[in-house]
Formats: sequence, C-alpha cells, structure tokens
Amino acid sequence: MSRYSPPAFACRLFKTVLPVPYRGALLGDLIEEYNLRAEATSASAATRWFWGQACRSIPFIMGSSLRNGDWLISVSTAVGVYAVMGTLKLAADFMIAKLVAPEPTAYVVMAPIVFLAFTSIGGCAAARIRFGTAVFLALFVMITVAVQIITKACTIPVPWWYEFGFLTLGPLSVLLTPVAFGVLKPNSNES
Amino acid sequence: MIVRREIEERTGRNITIGAVYATLERLEAKGYVSSSTGDPTPERGGRAKRMFRVEAAGNRALQVSEQTLHSMTADLKGRWETI
Repeated sequence: MSRYSPPAFACRLFKTVLPVPYRGALLGDLIEEYNLRAEATSASAATRWFWGQACRSIPFIMGSSLRNGDWLISVSTAVGVYAVMGTLKLAADFMIAKLVAPEPTAYVVMAPIVFLAFTSIGGCAAARIRFGTAVFLALFVMITVAVQIITKACTIPVPWWYEFGFLTLGPLSVLLTPVAFGVLKPNSNES
Repeated sequence: MIVRREIEERTGRNITIGAVYATLERLEAKGYVSSSTGDPTPERGGRAKRMFRVEAAGNRALQVSEQTLHSMTADLKGRWETI
C-alpha cells in the first residue's frame, strides 16, 4: 500500500459522477498515477494533478452519459424528485409563514435555511437514484429561482445578494451535498 | 492509464482520463475495441484494471482513417517547400 492517499473529496466527486461500469477502473487508474506522481514529485503536486483530472474529466463523462441516452431517464426522475421536493417545500413555507415566523424579517431569515435544507435533501435523494438526476434537479432549481427573481415573486424587499444566494447556493447544494456525504445509488459499489 | 500516457507522449497534449474513457466507451459501443477486467491491485486502491483490445473492425476503421488522412495531406509537403 502507498503512504500517499488521494484527496478524499475529489474521490467522492468521481465516485458520484462516474457511471458504474467504469467507476472502479477509472478511479484505480487515477489512484495508481497519483501514487507514482506523489513519489516522483510531491504529494501536493500530485493532489493538484488529481483535482485537475477530476474537474476536467467531468464534462466528458457527462457528455458521454448524454450521448448514451441516459439523460432521458435522468430528466424523468429529476422531474419526480423536483415535484416531491417542491410540494414539501411549499408546505414548509406555508407553515413557517403562518405559524413559526409570521413577521417578514423572521421569514427572510428562515427562508434560506428551509430552502437549502430542501435542496440538500433533494440532491441526496436524486443522487441516490443516479447522479444525472441531481444535475437536472440543480438545473430545475436554478430555473425556478431565476423565474421567481424575474417575476418578483418575493414581495418582501431584499438586497440583490440575498436573491443571488438562492440562485447559486441552491443548485450547488443539490450537487455538492451528495458528494460531501458520499451518497450513491445502492448498487453502485466500486467494481 | 497507459493509453492516456501514450496519447500525451505522442501528441504533447495534456489529456484527461475522462476524455479517454468516454472515447473508449464510444469505440467499444461501435465494436472497434473490446475490454476485459484484470485483477485488483493494492497500488490501485484495490481496484481492477480495465484492459482494451483493438478488434478487427477497429483495425479496418484505422486503416481507412489512415488512408484518408494520407490522401488529405499527401501534397502538403510539396506546397510548403514552394512557399
């Protein structure tokens, strides 16, 4: 065994994104080369290389999944997760507005917490099905927030960065929470 | 890993492993290459190696591509020398 270990978060990112048939082999290739590079240069240089490979590989892997026709299943399941998540979020918003925080100031504070909680849970549920679902769910969340900003759905006056936070952190929490917690579909053990 | 390194050495370009696997997956789907899984090793974190082999259809496609490329570039050297 090598005394070097590749960055755990990058490994999780790869495990989440990669299609099952190639997950083990591709990750194995990266770890093998990471160890060689760490011994030849330094652990930090090898870590930079590993992160570079992880970030630059994802578009190719996503593109490959789209060409395979996986996107249709991913979109369908994302719509389902989005519907369930949206319904529960509406119910939570209603409860907060009527019962917990009837004051506008309290609602402004509570809304992002509830929003991020639901997007994180939704992201984990989607990634549990397949990572492509989480990607489309993030897209749906971003479109929903953008439409709400454009149509000025929020009647309470808020600064621009507050809305921008919803627009960016919402999709990011959908994508990064399952990676951070290592949530994967049940049959996707490393081959 | 060997495929990626070979491409990097021959082209001088920095290639990502994702690009290599995505391409190999397409070639496999077309029947140009086939793959098999090796034994897991500790150097690879206990993960198996995937080995690819060029099939007869892949060799034929390579020949056609090489001939096409050759016919496209056959007169280039002569043109450069006259400039």
